[in-house]
Amino acid sequence: MRAGLFGGLFIALCCASLLVGVQQMAWSQVFSLSGDAWLTLTASRLPRLAALILTGVGLSVCGVILQHIVRNKFVEPATSGGLDAAKLGILVALTTVPTTGNLGRMLFALAFCFVASLIFVAIVRRIRFKNTVLVPVIGLMYGGVLSAIAEFYAYRNNILQSMQGWLLGDFSKIVQGNYEIIYLILPIVVVTYLYAHRFTVLGMGEGMATSLGLNYPATVALGLMLVAVTVAATVITVGAIPFVGLVIPNLVAMYYGDNLGRTLPVVALGGASLLLACDILGRLLIHPFEVPIGLTAGGVGGVLFLMLIFWRNR
Amino acid sequence: MMSALTARVPRHAVWVLVLALATAFLFVRSGFDFGYVIPKRMARLAAMLIGGVCIAWSSIAFQTITGNRILTPAIMGYEAIYLLLQSLLILFMGTQSLVVLGANGNFFLSVLLMLGYSWVIHRWLFRDGRNNVYLLLLLGLVLTMVIGTFTQFVQLKVSPGEFSILLGFSQASFGRAEPGQLLTSAIVVAAVCLAGVKTLPTLDVLSLGRDQAISLGVDYQRTVRLYLALIAVLVAVSTSLLGPTAFMGIFVANMTYALARTFRHRITLPIGCAIAVGMFILAQLAVEHVFNYRTTVGILVNLVCGVWFLALMLRTRGTA
Amino acid sequence: MITVNKLSKAYGAKAVVSNVSARFSARKLSSLIGPNGAGKTTLLMMIARLLAPSQGDILIEGRKITDIRIGDYARQVATLRQSPDFNLRLTVDELVAFGRFPYSRGSLTAEDHRVIDEAIAFLSLQSLREAYLDELSGGQRQMAFLAMTIAQRTDCLLLDEPLNNLDIKHAVHIMRALRRLCDEQGRTVILVVHDINFAANYSDHIVAMKGGSIHCAGSVSEVVTEERMRELYGLDFEITRGERGCLCNYFNPLGELE
Repeated sequence: MRAGLFGGLFIALCCASLLVGVQQMAWSQVFSLSGDAWLTLTASRLPRLAALILTGVGLSVCGVILQHIVRNKFVEPATSGGLDAAKLGILVALTTVPTTGNLGRMLFALAFCFVASLIFVAIVRRIRFKNTVLVPVIGLMYGGVLSAIAEFYAYRNNILQSMQGWLLGDFSKIVQGNYEIIYLILPIVVVTYLYAHRFTVLGMGEGMATSLGLNYPATVALGLMLVAVTVAATVITVGAIPFVGLVIPNLVAMYYGDNLGRTLPVVALGGASLLLACDILGRLLIHPFEVPIGLTAGGVGGVLFLMLIFWRNR
Repeated sequence: MMSALTARVPRHAVWVLVLALATAFLFVRSGFDFGYVIPKRMARLAAMLIGGVCIAWSSIAFQTITGNRILTPAIMGYEAIYLLLQSLLILFMGTQSLVVLGANGNFFLSVLLMLGYSWVIHRWLFRDGRNNVYLLLLLGLVLTMVIGTFTQFVQLKVSPGEFSILLGFSQASFGRAEPGQLLTSAIVVAAVCLAGVKTLPTLDVLSLGRDQAISLGVDYQRTVRLYLALIAVLVAVSTSLLGPTAFMGIFVANMTYALARTFRHRITLPIGCAIAVGMFILAQLAVEHVFNYRTTVGILVNLVCGVWFLALMLRTRGTA
Repeated sequence: MITVNKLSKAYGAKAVVSNVSARFSARKLSSLIGPNGAGKTTLLMMIARLLAPSQGDILIEGRKITDIRIGDYARQVATLRQSPDFNLRLTVDELVAFGRFPYSRGSLTAEDHRVIDEAIAFLSLQSLREAYLDELSGGQRQMAFLAMTIAQRTDCLLLDEPLNNLDIKHAVHIMRALRRLCDEQGRTVILVVHDINFAANYSDHIVAMKGGSIHCAGSVSEVVTEERMRELYGLDFEITRGERGCLCNYFNPLGELE
């Protein structure tokens, strides 16, 4: 697909996202920069659009970084324990230092996610799996272990039901003043783009990377840190959204290859577009109520992923 | 380290230990009340026994077929389907679901659903004559993720009362099983085990891998299909009877290999059953006396086996 | 003894084996040689019933192999592929015992034990009987697997690149053992082998494949000639025949490579 086509699609989706919503907006009010319509736009629709784009970009970039570090096409924060580690981090923050705000909880989530990803990468490096599918399966089970630990403590403190709520991706929470943490994703994407070439080399394996002069452990640590920050920021603001980091990088790699220097913009745009499309779908399906993005992305993403697998296997 | 510890333990010691645990569980602090306390405990013990046999058999057989020590049949999507059913029931019928279906209805419905799911995936996956267990795992992976999101959504939407009911079904527990369910499960499991016992040498050969098994004259396609069907029945029964027991299977299987020091299924399967039952009894005793009900059996089992799984992963080297 | 008629195997549009017909005589050692991607292993796997052909059929002693039950086929044909990475703790004795599975289905009789002892003795593995497979070297492990296929007491043995990753001493051991199986026990051996020198010195019959079809087939003196080898491999060969056998020198060919 031509770049122009992509860009056009993206802009169209952005406009559609701004238009869909419960409140009827009088566009004349918008252009005069006053009134309820302007308020709706600035307090709810624009922040939501920004959060959508940033989350989509962040998640797909996360996915592609993890896939290059672990050298497996099916890895993303949901299948490497990162999301569950973030959940555990938030739980620990809530129970040990209940008075911190969002930023404090985000730092806990970040720390847990980083350490958990490090452990996962260490596990995957030592074992030679007979089949690539085993890596995300192990990652899922690993996430299950972290979840089990979280459940144990949540049950004792009676917050099991609300804990399940942290992980459900839902953009309806986004209002001005409550979502700014997500802007952290912007510097992450910039750094990733600057380091894109190095992440591509990472994907060739430790031996090749070292022989090409790359500091392997440092680059891996940097990559995992970028992933951890994105995951923590996303989980705190929006919740967990599966499959975006899985489907988009695989689709892009099929058509454009694995050279991150070239494909990173496409990946980012693709992630944002997918999330925008899912969100619009979720808002239109049972208008005026909305289906949480976690569900729509899970459903759409799952179907896309299965199609990808079976088409590739043919 | 594990083999050093278990090198001296004779195999029959496991059964003696389990018997001792069972007796302790039944009679300690019961006041020998044969009217209420002991029958209740016997029901739980029966559930543990049946569930333990199911889990041991299905995990060990599944690991032989896939040639892999870190998998469990639950990840093929069975537990996701079970949780989906429970979430849908609570979502659409609320607390009424308990009344309308009853515990027995819930049990039979979930067994039927899981068997139906297994029939569908077997037909579809084995359609062109190839059986690719890894494709099955991938499907299970996707289903687990998607249904997991849906379950989270339901858990959020329902009232705390409904959430407790849902939690009761989505955690492993031994107290739920009614005598009717226990009897049916026992018959089904006994039938499956009897059917499987005669083919144990073939299962031994399967552990050599596909090519060797065919070279030694095993009809690989048919045998694997048969075993996956038997495993499906066992998983359906154990999940419906007890609830999801995700990591338990890996724990039981790997403990068995360490203790039995052989791969012959005639020896590993009974030991696996003993370990599973023993583990269950210990968990129940721990919840009752150590934790004072501040946690559930399901959460405890998941936690311990999950952490053990993590340790196993960290210690494993080579291929998997 | 084994006849292959117009056999083809295609994966989608890509034909890996096209229209191959060949005869493998009984009591002879036949080698399948050829460059990578020639279809040798695919052909062998179809004879072993590990792969289903797209077209054509395979006859053993005049009967179609698809008519024979797989349990019975295992008493006529045994296959050995490369010894897999194992994480099974098996002793050599237990592994060789598996070779009796087509006959006794797991419960070993006195006759089975005798056959197992003979197979182990044939390869001089007695000292390794109680050793675990993962403690052996690659060569010893391959010998143990060969002992298992010998214990299977089949008329025909199929081997897929049995000499890969073996040191030269073990490679010679295995080829000698295969030769003895043919001469002393009258078995038929068909193997896919990369090393043209082993093929030339131990085979009775050579089938050379290239690009999915048969390039040439016949006795060693007919096939292993400088001209034929150059056509097959695209390399300049220097073949010397002496008392100790035949030596193909392709290591330093004259001129440029094609």
